[in-house]
Amino acid sequence: MLKKSLLVSGVLASLISTAGAQNWQDTLEEAKGQTVYWNAWGGSDNINAYIDWIKSSVKEEYQVNLKHVKLADTADAVSRVLAEKAAGNNNKGSIDLIWVNGENFRTLKQNNLLFGPFSQELPNYQYIDESSKKSLTQDFGTDVDGMESPWGAAQVIFMYDTVTVSQPPKSMAQLLSYAESNPGRISYPEPPQFLGTTFLKQALIETTHYPTALSKPVTQVDFDQVTKPLWAFLDRLHPNTWRSGTSFPSSSEQMMRLLDDQEIDLALSFDVSAASVQIDQGNLSDTVRSYVFDRGTIGNTHFVAIPYNSASTAGAQVVANFLLSPKAQIKKQDPTTWGDLSVLSYNRLSQQDKTAFDNLPRGIATLTLDELGESLPEPHVSWVEALEKEWRKRYAK
Amino acid sequence: MITLSISKFTLKLNGLATASRLITLLFILPIILGLVGTLLPAFDFLPALSHYQFSLKPWFSLFESPELWGSIKLTLLSGLLASFISFVIAFATISVFYESRWLISIRNTLAPILAIPHAAIAIGLVFILSPSGWIVRLLSPWLTDYERPPTWISVQDPYGLSLVLALVVKETPYLLFVILASLEQIKTCELIKVGTSMGYARIAVWRKVILPILYPLIRLPLLVILAFSLTVVDLSLVIGPNTPSTFAVTLFHWFNDTDLDMRFTASAGAVLLMFIILLSALCWEALYQIFVLFDRRRWCNGKRTSLLTPIFHGAAFTYLVSMLLAVLSLIVLPIWTFTHRWRFPDILPTSWSFKKIEQLAPLLFELACVSLVIAFASTLLALCISILMLEQKRTLPNSTRWFDRFIYLPIILPQVGFLFGIQVFLIWSNNSGSLLAVIGLHLLYVLPYVYLTLSGPYLAFNQSFYRQAVCLTKRPWHSFLQVKLAMLKPALFSAFALGIAVSFAQYLPTLTAGEGRINTLTTEAVALAASGERKKVGNMAMLQALFPLIIFMLAQWLPRVWTQYRLKLAKMITHK
Repeated sequence: MLKKSLLVSGVLASLISTAGAQNWQDTLEEAKGQTVYWNAWGGSDNINAYIDWIKSSVKEEYQVNLKHVKLADTADAVSRVLAEKAAGNNNKGSIDLIWVNGENFRTLKQNNLLFGPFSQELPNYQYIDESSKKSLTQDFGTDVDGMESPWGAAQVIFMYDTVTVSQPPKSMAQLLSYAESNPGRISYPEPPQFLGTTFLKQALIETTHYPTALSKPVTQVDFDQVTKPLWAFLDRLHPNTWRSGTSFPSSSEQMMRLLDDQEIDLALSFDVSAASVQIDQGNLSDTVRSYVFDRGTIGNTHFVAIPYNSASTAGAQVVANFLLSPKAQIKKQDPTTWGDLSVLSYNRLSQQDKTAFDNLPRGIATLTLDELGESLPEPHVSWVEALEKEWRKRYAK
Repeated sequence: MITLSISKFTLKLNGLATASRLITLLFILPIILGLVGTLLPAFDFLPALSHYQFSLKPWFSLFESPELWGSIKLTLLSGLLASFISFVIAFATISVFYESRWLISIRNTLAPILAIPHAAIAIGLVFILSPSGWIVRLLSPWLTDYERPPTWISVQDPYGLSLVLALVVKETPYLLFVILASLEQIKTCELIKVGTSMGYARIAVWRKVILPILYPLIRLPLLVILAFSLTVVDLSLVIGPNTPSTFAVTLFHWFNDTDLDMRFTASAGAVLLMFIILLSALCWEALYQIFVLFDRRRWCNGKRTSLLTPIFHGAAFTYLVSMLLAVLSLIVLPIWTFTHRWRFPDILPTSWSFKKIEQLAPLLFELACVSLVIAFASTLLALCISILMLEQKRTLPNSTRWFDRFIYLPIILPQVGFLFGIQVFLIWSNNSGSLLAVIGLHLLYVLPYVYLTLSGPYLAFNQSFYRQAVCLTKRPWHSFLQVKLAMLKPALFSAFALGIAVSFAQYLPTLTAGEGRINTLTTEAVALAASGERKKVGNMAMLQALFPLIIFMLAQWLPRVWTQYRLKLAKMITHK
């Protein structure tokens, strides 16, 4: 009996997988000759160059015409899908693939603006171990549900110039005392810029007396009580920050520029290879190094998603699948290309791919996976808006 | 015979009336759609987000937002101050330097400053003025002892003074440009001659005689500048304060907020900003009328000197300083283009590289072609439409009143709100993402500037020249082209060059209509500006400025030599 049911389920499983393979074959067929407009942030040369490489690879291997639409802000793409829905354009949308982060994904998903679920059906998804990282299935606390396909992993790092700073602060408490003894040399991006909000979350995790409350929706906890130490911390920090807290940098890139100008002593980034890449491009001194806080820093995963009204969903899936291939992920993690962390599970890779990952060069200022350590999980997604609102109420009047 | 041809021409004029009505309609339509697309969400109505019930919720959330009052205060302060200072400096500069060699140099430097995009000049200024900037670098450490930058707040100051400075640097040249074009329509030199021969000091003549005649001619450009200062986004993003930011920037952030419900609040804010612009314009005009009321007595009090003379000289000197800043930011851009390493307190880069520009060359060529096609198409269209409408306005001043009213709306309405409304319409009509849509949307922004710049000189044209020509040649069209338009050449060329510059600077309209598929130097530059890296921004901005710059220079040079070359050519042909 047991044997029989095992047999049945085995047959069923193989049927399903052949059906899956058959479906994928269909998708590949359909994708041939399709044009895929990929809306992705276009502010970084090395990322743009990597996308160019993706472009020629999918053209060669799958005859998909990939076009990179460079965005200044991913929210622009969200607006466009929204405007298209408003105008009743439900099947000829101008966007076929979007590079998204947590908040934009939540907006798209909540408003039913996405195609899918599709990601778990992609052949290369086999290399993903969902249990290895919470952020693979929970994008800022929003369930992924196969509506977006993982592309890379990010973790907050701090950068400093070893010539100006000998002992960089390794916790929020140390950061505060550093700012008090070096007024004007500490800053962080202005919330709601995502890195700025991440800084708030990091500070909240380190200061709050109720760490367990952060994994719950904000409405279920006493926001004022949980965040009270955070605001007390910021009230003390701001008078001693860059430009006395009257203005804040707009992005990580601006922080690195200010670091190089020596206006500030610490820069933040969500890109673990940022320091090495910028040193290579002549934007940072080669004495700059990166590090993480003693308790770890916040980390997350970034994805690609397909809008509901894309006319080239097959082509978009082929691109998403290619992005997950070991070949593309190895190239992406190469710091001379981009240096973005792979989302694939090392143990599921072939020996050859494992070796390729092992042999990747590392930039002089890039931390190893060991040095990066365990990343701190993002608080529940509802904290983003609550923190941003309160921050603006207090400091942006 | 003459009556016959004139009556024939009248027939054509009827055609003109029809065409002008059609144009008015075509122009008003998208504006209404854009307005409706802003107004409805302001009252909680947007089917795309399943909001079908009208309500005042967006307004409540607008007035509850903590940043609102701070933002508005900042906007009013910076906008009004910048417009007023620009006007004073521009007028004083011309009255002090008119008929002197200095004016020629000033005129020559107008083009590059007008042509360079706002964002680029702001980026240049930030670099010059910031604590780690060029000025401090020039003085460090030998004078200041600074081994690293001081912790001043010299840009993005909470009062928006650096923003005012950037606006003044950018707007004063535009006003000078407009005033110079208008002065050609009034007999300035004669007025000065008569005034000074009666013993009036030159400044007194400018103050008592020329200002009252000039003001009506430049009233509209002044209001445009006011609206621009109140709504500008790119400039305030770079050099304006950010806690809070100016109201337009706050709206820009709200429209881009990942929480889509913020769009309703943003739409309400866009409507409010519209009212703020309206009120500011009314205040501005009212203040001028009050000023005239009190000043009228002084015009004829017989005093030959003006107490304002030192102030005029001071303001004119300020212009030279502001131009120095602009020139420095123009010099900085190409330097960054070829920089590899350049740290504080080095005065110049320590290592140079051509890598960046080599990398970008093919892309730059493509972008330049697209930008030029869009700019030429929209500006030529705008020029034809303006001439047609102005001719109609001249014959029947009342007949273009709808056009006159609506044409300013695109520049007066905050782009961030208005464009979202238009975007919905473009997608609905299946025109989104086409080159035509981009040209159309550019036209919406180019036309007002071209029309405004042209309308003063065009309507002030002494029509008897044309009538004489028709009487002599009996050829209305020929006379129109060969006499009227030929005489208006300087104004036409100026308007054309300005149109090109306006088109080149458009960011949001290109992005909205082009769906990100049609890229110009500007969209690319702003996308790259997000990286905050000076080298790339310098690269793009320099090229973005280059084309309008060349066209501006041509616009100033061609009218002067046109007749001379045309006659030479004609001589050559007849000799053959």
